[in-house]
Amino acid sequence: MTIAEKPFIRPDGKEKVTGVGRYTADMNLTGQLYAKFRYSDHPHARIVRIDTSRAKAVPGVLAVLTHEDVPDVLYGGMVQDRRLFAKEKVRWEGDVIAGIAARTAAIAEEAAALIEVEYEVLDPLPDFAANMDAGASLVHEDWETYGADDSLDRSGNTLGHSSIVKGDADSAMAGADVVVKSRFVADASQGAPIEPRAILAQWHGDRVTVWSSTQVPFAARSGVAHTLDMPESHVRVVVPLLGGGFGSKCDFHFEAHVAALAKAAKRPVKLVFSRHEEFVAPDHRREGMVIELETGANRDGTLVSRRGTLRLDKGAYCGEGGFFAQMAAMHACGPYKIQNISVDSYLNYSTNQPSSSIRAPTAPQTCWAVEQHMDQVAEAIGMDPAELRRRTLIAEGDEGPAGQIFDPIGIKETLEAALDMIGYGKELPDDEAIGVACGWWPSFGVPSGAYVKLNGDGTGTIITGAMESGTGAVMGLPLLAAEVLGMSPEDFSITYQDTDAGPWDMGSSGSQTTFNNGRAVIEAAKEVREKLLDMAADELEAHRDDLELVGGAVQVKGSPGTSVTIADLAGSGEPILGKGSGDVPEAPEVEASACVGRLGMESFLAPQLITHAARVKLDRSTGVVRVLEFAAAHDSGVIINRIGADGQVYGGVMMGIGQALSEMTMFDQDGRQRNPGLLDYKLQTVSDAPKIDIRWIEVDTPNAGPKGSKGVGEPPSVPTSGAIGNAIAKLVGRHVDRLPMTPERVWETMHTEGE
Amino acid sequence: MMGATYTTASSVEDAVAAMAAGARPVAGGTDLVVGARQGKKPLPQALVGIHKIPGLDGIGESDGGLVLGALVTHSALVSHPIVRGRFTGLADASAIVGSHATRANGTIGGNLMNASPAMDTGAPLLCMGATVELAGPGGRRTIGLDELWAGPGQLSASADELLVSVNIPAPSPGTGSAYVRLQYRRQMEIAVVGAAAVVTLGGGAVMDARIAITALAPTIHRVPDAEAALVGGPPDEARVDAAAAAAAAAARPIGDVRASVEYRRAMAVVMARRAIMTAVARASGQDMAIPASDSTYGS
Ligand SMILES: Cc1cc2nc3c(=O)[nH]c(=O)nc-3n(C[C@H](O)[C@H](O)[C@H](O)COP(=O)(O)OP(=O)(O)OC[C@H]3O[C@@H](n4cnc5c(N)ncnc54)[C@H](O)[C@@H]3O)c2cc1C
Repeated sequence: MTIAEKPFIRPDGKEKVTGVGRYTADMNLTGQLYAKFRYSDHPHARIVRIDTSRAKAVPGVLAVLTHEDVPDVLYGGMVQDRRLFAKEKVRWEGDVIAGIAARTAAIAEEAAALIEVEYEVLDPLPDFAANMDAGASLVHEDWETYGADDSLDRSGNTLGHSSIVKGDADSAMAGADVVVKSRFVADASQGAPIEPRAILAQWHGDRVTVWSSTQVPFAARSGVAHTLDMPESHVRVVVPLLGGGFGSKCDFHFEAHVAALAKAAKRPVKLVFSRHEEFVAPDHRREGMVIELETGANRDGTLVSRRGTLRLDKGAYCGEGGFFAQMAAMHACGPYKIQNISVDSYLNYSTNQPSSSIRAPTAPQTCWAVEQHMDQVAEAIGMDPAELRRRTLIAEGDEGPAGQIFDPIGIKETLEAALDMIGYGKELPDDEAIGVACGWWPSFGVPSGAYVKLNGDGTGTIITGAMESGTGAVMGLPLLAAEVLGMSPEDFSITYQDTDAGPWDMGSSGSQTTFNNGRAVIEAAKEVREKLLDMAADELEAHRDDLELVGGAVQVKGSPGTSVTIADLAGSGEPILGKGSGDVPEAPEVEASACVGRLGMESFLAPQLITHAARVKLDRSTGVVRVLEFAAAHDSGVIINRIGADGQVYGGVMMGIGQALSEMTMFDQDGRQRNPGLLDYKLQTVSDAPKIDIRWIEVDTPNAGPKGSKGVGEPPSVPTSGAIGNAIAKLVGRHVDRLPMTPERVWETMHTEGE
Repeated sequence: MMGATYTTASSVEDAVAAMAAGARPVAGGTDLVVGARQGKKPLPQALVGIHKIPGLDGIGESDGGLVLGALVTHSALVSHPIVRGRFTGLADASAIVGSHATRANGTIGGNLMNASPAMDTGAPLLCMGATVELAGPGGRRTIGLDELWAGPGQLSASADELLVSVNIPAPSPGTGSAYVRLQYRRQMEIAVVGAAAVVTLGGGAVMDARIAITALAPTIHRVPDAEAALVGGPPDEARVDAAAAAAAAAARPIGDVRASVEYRRAMAVVMARRAIMTAVARASGQDMAIPASDSTYGS
């Protein structure tokens, strides 16, 4: 059913792997200066005085900026709680106090150290769970005065409370055959893209161009315009090749700091992060969580009740991540039939690095907890965990956590496929076991736009606002345009990652590029098709309805001899241009008035369903776990380009294994990162990769993306750690309740008494 | 980096002269340059590249022992048949240094002179009784590795002494060696806990044993109590356990982001036992995979 007949390999791949490709840090402009930041000296402190005079006196320094030098504007996607440069308080170790532009990076660094900041040091508030206790000190004393999304239920250090409520969980719990309670704690982790971020800004009159390694150029443009108080049309954001993001380069980050420095210095200014800064300074990392779950089940597997309390670490500022509480609450329910639900989820401020979207935000950690909890439920009722899932996974017509009725979906089929691929039940050595986990993730319907134009030589150019961060826009979009126009995907170039070129797009986030921009490209290509048919009808003196587009030509149906090539038509001098956006699919309406903090995620549009199964091996003497074999079965709707979709799964599973076993940001007592570098932040290497088998369950999905497709990018990391956790538990005899499940934690679990 | 200099030496004498004038030698640069970029220590103002000095990259045999030039890389060591055959513990160590790129660039001289208590080749070489030849402005001298290391990152050699070669004496017949470390992932690791053993068997009994521990004290060192516990009878479970326990008892582990004190101490027993058992197996003629860290996993 896949629409690409042969694999369409990413056209930007070769330049990336051969080192020819140019990233933001590779760009240089005549006269450019180098930027450095002065970061906070304390995770939590009141700023008493900032003196920049010694820094400004350093020869070679052309600009030093603090909050006094930029408009006094608060910003933040869902809560406006932040300034470009800290003013009254610093709230985490990476808060920026000042920016310096100097002739060399070394001079800028020297000047940064010479800025004198006097603080009144405050107690750090790193314990995000305790921060919601009555009487806790506030990270933001002025939280009530902040502008914020109306749907956020805010109170003190909690910037978002969401609940999912269905039926009467309490009385149902009391009537269940068994009740299982668990508590899990997930540590923070990082997106860890291989390219540390870089930004270069240059002014021309009152307009600025910013080259930035961002996943979301349009959000970056809005951020610059808002914080520097200028019209959006005066800001152009261009993204050269992007060296990975995994969500960490979503949102507006440092573009305005660099633009402001360039304006003050009257020179182009370039900022390139060190690896250390890439860990410590971005307001994006995966949130730590404390997850408490309670499930009442009957012996036949019926899930009669689920209660849950989730506490999430938002860190110092909100940014775009204000939806986390609701997203986590949905994952605390999972793709299961549960009769009664009461889940409360709290997104809390702390004086830690801000968290925000990293690939499937909140899902891997919550799913890790829920899926291990499901295995505990299975054990309590004496049922095989796969059988429990078989009986309780949702299918067409079932009701979701907040009342949504599901269209056809293939989660049960993913379960069977994963069990089949991994050989569930096969004989294993006594240090090996297989674990299984299921998960889901919504598709996001948002507006998006594209233009398609034909070139005189018969090729096409797609002009789009979409971003490519390894996500596949360069593959999916040409394939879709080519199909409409009877051309081949290789015939298309893409003009993208430039806010002055393509229409607005949400950027490379939410697994949504093919889903939304694909739709726009098809619409635009259809307009081109109409034009070609008109022109060819004239040319061939045939009726439009008798024409078809095949192999780069318009021909009379069934008579290839009577045809005109697209090159001839496009080369005639008449511009051939199509534009499109298409109708945005909407999530099913639900009646969810009992739910608090509704941000639209109480109903999942075109849910992507996943089952992962992992065969692991445990070294019982050390606690070291190796994943030997992995099976990933996904319902992402119809697959448009198998090679691209497979690539997302390979990468996502490896990211998931890292999160399961080794990746964590460790904080000290005050909330400073203890391992901000690739030596001790342990990513998985290619040598750690197991054999990964993939199967696509291609359910034709109504109300979805182009051709019945859903998203693909985020789900491959969702149930990975849950599957591995369940396998480990079979070997250890207990569930490891901390994520990641490092060798030491596995070993500790083996050597401590259970409750 | 104002006024920084870099020269390339074409002979040992050149290098020593540059070092006497204040330059630091750089071989593969995988410690020096990478460390500087990580902000560990800034690059020295003056550097002398020694990678082009002829004759320092050879692996030669002498009287059944080995002479390794300072510039011999880890990848050369792992692929050398004699190293693999009779100095297997060293092959175990070089095989797991960093990644393919690290092993292709990193040298034995740099590994030893970096004096990290977590270096991988240190423990097996120490157990093999290796010595190093140092060339300085006043001539050459030979010292044992235990004399060379003075603390974490500290050497007894002076700043103008170049390591020229590493000399490993011939092992007695019936000797096997092994090096094992705790690895969280398969590449790009650093020893959290490691142990080496060199064991000589005769008539079914342990005639001689050398056991050293890695990343468990300010310097890599041998553990005489562990060695004594193993010698004098068959390498049975009781002896091996006693030796492993003694090796762990000598550890003075720290707690940090990589592991707690308790876990390191517990892993010291495990790594010591695995190193001893692998060395014993090799001493009795069994073919055990290189690197031992991977193959003894799960045992
Ligand atoms: C990614 C990565 C992973 C690594 N993994 C490991 C690992 O698993 N195990 C491990 O043990 N090490 C590891 N290392 C450290 C390093 O690669 C090794 O220690 C390597 O052997 C160093 O050799 P080099 O030639 O690169 O040393 P250099 O960096 O050139 O030098 C290191 C030090 O020794 C001095 N020096 C070098 N040669 C001489 C000489 N002939 N005489 C006197 N002084 C000299 C230098 O001045 C410097 O102080 C790793 C490094 C990296 C970057």
